[in-house]
Amino acid sequence: MKYYFLIAFVLLSFPISTAHAQAPSAMDIVVKAVEAMNYAGGDVKARIDMRIIDSHGRERIRQMTMLRRNETSGYGPQKYYVLFSRPSDVKEMVFMAWKNTDRADDRWLYLPALDLVKRIAASDERTSFVGSHFFYEDVSGRNIDEDHHEFIEETDEYYVIKSTPKTPGDVEFTNYTSWVDKTTYLPIRIEYTGQRGEVYRTFSVQTVEVIQNHPTIIDVQMEDTAMGGKTVLHYSAVKYSIGIKENVFSERFLRRPPREYLR
Amino acid sequence: MNFLTHFALAAPRTFIWGTVAITFVLMALVAAPTLSPPIAQFLQPLSIDADPENMLVYDEPVRVFNREKKDTFSLYDLIVIGVVNDNHKDGVFSVASLSDIYDLAEFAKDTQWTNKQGEVEGVVPVDLIAPSTMEDVRQAGPGAVDFNWLMDGPPQTQAEALDVRDRSLNQPILHGSLISEDGRSIALYIPITSKGVSYRVAQQLRERIASYDSGDQYWITGLPVAQDQFGVEMFIQMGITTPLATGLLFFLLWFFFRNLTLVASPIMVAMLSVTITVCLLIATGHSIHIMTSMIPIFVMPIAVLDSIHILSEFHDRYPEFQNRRKTVKHVMSKLALPMFFTSITTGIGFLSLNFMPIPPLQAFGTFVGIGVVVAWLLTVTLIPAYIVLMPERKFKNFGLNKTTDSREPSSFLHGALPALGAGAIRYSRPILLLMIPIAALAFYGATQIVANDNPVKWFGKEHNIRQADAVLNSAFGGSYMAYLALGTNQDTESFGIYIDELEARILAQDLAKRDMLALLVREISKTVTSRTDLLSALLADVEERLRSTKSDDEISAWEDTLSFLDTERAQTEIFKDPEVLAYMNNLQTFIEKDAAVGKSNSVVEIVKTVYRELISGEEADYRIPDSGAGVAQTLITFQNSHRPHDLWHYVTPDYQEANIWVQMKSGDNQDMSRVDALVAQYFADNPPPRNLTHQWFGLNYINVVWQDYITVGTAKALAGSFIIITLLLMVLFRSVLWGLLAVVPLGFSIAMLYGGIGLAGKSLDAPISILGAISLGLAVDYAIHFVMRSRDIAKEQSNWPDTARIVFGEPARAIARNVLILGVGFLPLLIAPLIPYKVVGVMLSGILILAGIATLIILPALMSLLEGRLFNFRPAGANS
Repeated sequence: MKYYFLIAFVLLSFPISTAHAQAPSAMDIVVKAVEAMNYAGGDVKARIDMRIIDSHGRERIRQMTMLRRNETSGYGPQKYYVLFSRPSDVKEMVFMAWKNTDRADDRWLYLPALDLVKRIAASDERTSFVGSHFFYEDVSGRNIDEDHHEFIEETDEYYVIKSTPKTPGDVEFTNYTSWVDKTTYLPIRIEYTGQRGEVYRTFSVQTVEVIQNHPTIIDVQMEDTAMGGKTVLHYSAVKYSIGIKENVFSERFLRRPPREYLR
Repeated sequence: MNFLTHFALAAPRTFIWGTVAITFVLMALVAAPTLSPPIAQFLQPLSIDADPENMLVYDEPVRVFNREKKDTFSLYDLIVIGVVNDNHKDGVFSVASLSDIYDLAEFAKDTQWTNKQGEVEGVVPVDLIAPSTMEDVRQAGPGAVDFNWLMDGPPQTQAEALDVRDRSLNQPILHGSLISEDGRSIALYIPITSKGVSYRVAQQLRERIASYDSGDQYWITGLPVAQDQFGVEMFIQMGITTPLATGLLFFLLWFFFRNLTLVASPIMVAMLSVTITVCLLIATGHSIHIMTSMIPIFVMPIAVLDSIHILSEFHDRYPEFQNRRKTVKHVMSKLALPMFFTSITTGIGFLSLNFMPIPPLQAFGTFVGIGVVVAWLLTVTLIPAYIVLMPERKFKNFGLNKTTDSREPSSFLHGALPALGAGAIRYSRPILLLMIPIAALAFYGATQIVANDNPVKWFGKEHNIRQADAVLNSAFGGSYMAYLALGTNQDTESFGIYIDELEARILAQDLAKRDMLALLVREISKTVTSRTDLLSALLADVEERLRSTKSDDEISAWEDTLSFLDTERAQTEIFKDPEVLAYMNNLQTFIEKDAAVGKSNSVVEIVKTVYRELISGEEADYRIPDSGAGVAQTLITFQNSHRPHDLWHYVTPDYQEANIWVQMKSGDNQDMSRVDALVAQYFADNPPPRNLTHQWFGLNYINVVWQDYITVGTAKALAGSFIIITLLLMVLFRSVLWGLLAVVPLGFSIAMLYGGIGLAGKSLDAPISILGAISLGLAVDYAIHFVMRSRDIAKEQSNWPDTARIVFGEPARAIARNVLILGVGFLPLLIAPLIPYKVVGVMLSGILILAGIATLIILPALMSLLEGRLFNFRPAGANS
């Protein structure tokens, strides 16, 4: 009698467990999503037009050219070089980052008007990126090991993943939910939930184009209801695999932008 | 006798029950919408408005500007909480205290609710200033800068607690604001959605604070709390002191007239008058405001006043008639006209406050005026009706008995008053001569009056709000916030010249697109009126052209154009200009020398602090960078923080406007006015770069404006009412001289009142200046009674001394009883912890005594002097 019961139990639960096995794991989706968004091509150059719109609808612009180089294939260390061109008083300003997957990133800022290269201390990566609603971490991608990822559901178009920080004290959100496109694996929408259970920050992609076979985000915005307002990014002149040399991402090049890659 | 009194005597029950019924209907009209809004949605509910800002009309320019700038710089009214610990060696910088402070800040962030309109009200979490919400930028080893929360969680060790202190002290923008100057205390600045929620927020915070046991003292203050708290306590005070005053009045009436049933009638008249007036006020959609809340206190004495005249006369005459109906008819025939005159003049005096452009003062004047008329109607009908309804047996042994024991107060007046009258007549010249220096002194005193107010000082010294105010303003930069908005008129001024210059600069450039750009400038400049608008439109146009072109040469040409326009626009961003920042820096240093200014914060402190930390972290580098680009790059570095939006409290994103947050240690409008003058002087002495303009805003400045309106405005309104009353009396008496004579006691009371205030060095604040109005109601009443009775009696007498002897009988006794009953009856207000109510108590007594003196001494003295012109006595002997 006992055995029949056990067999019945195993048989009944079998289809359910196979269904689990067939669905992609949350971690797989997260890795693919990060790779689709931040690792396409071995390297890339893009012009970014940033519009920061505050809660009063007042707008400021930043224009920059970004170089990015992957140090390994797939998810792993990377290097970023961002040269500002507008507004004119921040022209030639450079932001450089070495993304590390095993420890905090290394970041530098070059301020030409003060002829000053500053390392930004590795304390907190959830600070504003040049006054926008994007955090520095949103630009380079949050380390995937910092959160527990949980598969929520699969819709016609998206995998929905809920991520919860492993050390909640380090961040201002309690969790975030990502809608990852099932074909391109690009995260199309990310909602951050605050301490009171409210969605206060929303990342959303408006336009995606395929460039050199890579689905590429062209228009994206971050809206912040706590602070008010939003920041809109437009990517243009995107070129993948242009063969950027590693030494470009060094302190030496902060004062002397590598023109050959930036044209 | 008044026809109304006739009707009342004919149907006394109908009159009394009819009035009571009307009162209940009015009360129901107010109670229904207040208690059950859905059922009575077409009626006005009771609403309370404790916001002194509403002394000014909503569209008053200073309020419009204040709203605009608060919106521009995302500023909110602030509740300030100071945390002090005298027992720990490091003050509040201990693990236990900082843990509580951390908890309080977290709690404050959640102190929000949704109101009936579905809007979120309460604390604005994003702008909360607390150790856990603020951060610093600092050197982190050689060549590195660090942005870090000052306290991202409760500290675990004493060393961590001290680190919070040291880092806070190192941030000039926090030093004196977040952390006290001695580095021992912390102040939290809690922004709230509107002033009206401050009491509720403060109450919730107080409850939370009560659960802490680390021995810290928490002091809550800030103008919004003080004002809202005042509104709340005002009603509590009205609820306690009004019944107390009523009770004491009742006792005093009994003391003089010794008939419990009878003396209930003036109290009934007063309560019905007050209730009807207040119900009418609410039912017509007026909110209860600091001013209108004083209506009961004003209506009550005026209502009781006429009743005392009737009772006094009735009391003295009853033994003669021994019949209540006959006595009442006699009394009313004597008093009907004086009471009508006094009510008309008082009512019009208050109604004339409507000439002031101050909405609450208009409502106050209108409804005190209405209350006076209601009180008159009720007095001339209900009191006689009530008396005739009382059984005759209740009047056994009632009334003035000339043989009674002389210790009885009425007998004392009976003996003393004729002596006073005789003295006033005999010594009329010395008395009037004595008045000349007194008048001169009063006039001198009045010129010494300083108009000054501070809502926090409306609380007694021992009140929690006052103590908090003292503690916070000695340890921190100050709890009174004023803001100085800076801008420029350069943007629109000389725009035509700018267009020509821009065109010249374009044509001088080596730009591929320069001719096209020059053309664009001409075209677009027709549709805009300012430099910034022109450049924005040009930039948008060129960006569009850049987007629509594919050719590399074209792209490069338009990019060069864009770059040129960008540089032009950077020129218009005046608050990045080091010269402008240096000017602001010097201005701040200049005003900070004033004792009332604790500290000031602006974009200058942000720039200097970030620059210092970028360069060396040393004090020598605490300065403004040399170039505009240096400023811009310093600021963009600042914006790499957790709170980039903090910058926009000090400057607009287009750098066309800036804001200096001035923390003041005093909320006295004298101090604010002085600092205002200092800034104006600085601008005059030091011509600012870039045509900088300046204008104050913020609660502390608005208070100056409305307090000025109230003090100066009320003085004007009083003068206006005085003139109207004088003219009215001249018409009523059909005599210029009698009219002037009747306002002498009023003039005397007001002169003494303001002269006394000036000589005593007490500053004229809003409550005092409002209270001047009550002398209109009381002083003129006594004088009219005295004058009319004198004229009446003189008709049957052959000379003034004989007339005066009779006038100093019943008529003078009625006035004296009035003075004593009302003068003492309002003293319970002295126990109120709110200063304005104490002031009402003292001033009411003072005014009554002054008006009494003026009426019973100065008037007869003057009448003796002017006897020949005033009276037309029949020759002696013609009578017999």
